[in-house]
Amino acid sequence: MAHSGYIPISYWQLTLSVILVLITGLISALLGLGMIKSLLWGTLRAFIQLTLIGYILTYIFKLNTLLVIIPLVLLQCYIASREATRRITKAPHNPALASFFSLTASTFIVGIIVVVVIIGPHPWYQAQVLIPIFGMIMGNSMNAIALSLDRLYSEVHAHVEQVEQMLAFGASPWESIVEYLRKAVSSGMLPTINGLMIVGIVSLPGMMTGQILAGMSPALAVRYQFVVMVMIAAATAIGCLIIVGLSYKHMFTSDGALVDSMCKV
Amino acid sequence: MNALLEFKNLRRYFEGEQGRYVMESAVLEPGTILVLKGPSGAGKSTLLKTLARLLQPQGGQVFLQGRDWLDYSSSEWRSNVQYVPQKPVVFSGSLEDNLRLPFCLKATQGKLSYEREQALHWLERLALPSSLLAQAAATLSGGEAARIALIRVMLLKPQILLLDEPTAYLDGENRLRAMELINEWVKTGAGRGVILISHNEEDLESLPEVAVLNIKARGEE
Repeated sequence: MAHSGYIPISYWQLTLSVILVLITGLISALLGLGMIKSLLWGTLRAFIQLTLIGYILTYIFKLNTLLVIIPLVLLQCYIASREATRRITKAPHNPALASFFSLTASTFIVGIIVVVVIIGPHPWYQAQVLIPIFGMIMGNSMNAIALSLDRLYSEVHAHVEQVEQMLAFGASPWESIVEYLRKAVSSGMLPTINGLMIVGIVSLPGMMTGQILAGMSPALAVRYQFVVMVMIAAATAIGCLIIVGLSYKHMFTSDGALVDSMCKV
Repeated sequence: MNALLEFKNLRRYFEGEQGRYVMESAVLEPGTILVLKGPSGAGKSTLLKTLARLLQPQGGQVFLQGRDWLDYSSSEWRSNVQYVPQKPVVFSGSLEDNLRLPFCLKATQGKLSYEREQALHWLERLALPSSLLAQAAATLSGGEAARIALIRVMLLKPQILLLDEPTAYLDGENRLRAMELINEWVKTGAGRGVILISHNEEDLESLPEVAVLNIKARGEE
């Protein structure tokens, strides 16, 4: 089978990667980390999940229909939004629905701009382009949303007296916590902004590395990478903005006071 | 004469204390001070916060000059009825930024403006130097912050002040000055009133006449 530029990994070569698992296991055993079982289970799961998704994606790329692509992306958004809110413990409400909405909105808004306007494949909904791009946006947006939400609730919990004093002055709920809303959004965006600063100097990101390994010229691969970086920045900004916009109201009663679970009675 | 503020069977439970609640009724006449007394944990602060509409009551009625408090929007209510918590709250920036802060809100813009002369006058009355205005608020002592918090709400020209232990951070002379100013404030404007919490008998002795409401926590029947 002919390959244009990239070096394929055979099943035999894949088996050799077990050496790396053995090294990790050896470190765990030597230091008594008690992680061997988790490591083996994790390795097995990763292999099975990746193999399955490899076949599934091959099938979906062949079908190349929006009837399959859209439900798949929505399912991914659902799983990612649950993951984003799983460790949020200080929320006065279940933030899963708001998280799903912000993740889906940021993924679709930015994803469509990138795929349709910037990359422009034919047809525009080419699964081979759409699914990886949407997936990258989603993964980054998910982390940003989780960081934003966590920061929002932590800030308000830590500044209940200030929030209540602002409300007592006659401030609206928005006015009373706008400072913490800003901090929450910037907290979600910080890793992305840091990534923009160091890309190409400290790190060669996954997508660019993958394309170079696949035989693409580095000069061309960086163009894709640049689009990916700014797309992630836009998606995290939109995702964080929507999640704090949807979540902050749940911290207040209809009378514009903090709900009991947020304040000290 | 119409009551300035009247609350009837105003009921609110305490968070974290199973089955305990405060339920009180009282009338605040114009130009008077109502003192809430009672042991710690009786619900005095809870009652004050409920009157500020920072806590939602579980029952009862409140009237401001005969008008049901539900007829007021929450920001309208809080503009008329200003609340100062026991632990004074200061925000980042200078002390003057802190005094100006409430005037930057939507609820006050176009209706009220910051009066520097008045602020300086009250600073002097409370034995605070005017140079303090430029100082970073974070560097204020507890006593200074408490006096600033009092001046800040008086500048907002409310009808009613709800003060949770306004002298808790003050020493003898400053306590007296603060109580004198509160008393003067309530007497000079038309239709003003104060509800305050105090554990200090000296504070109350410094006031010519006050009404007292003894608060006690209740348990679920």
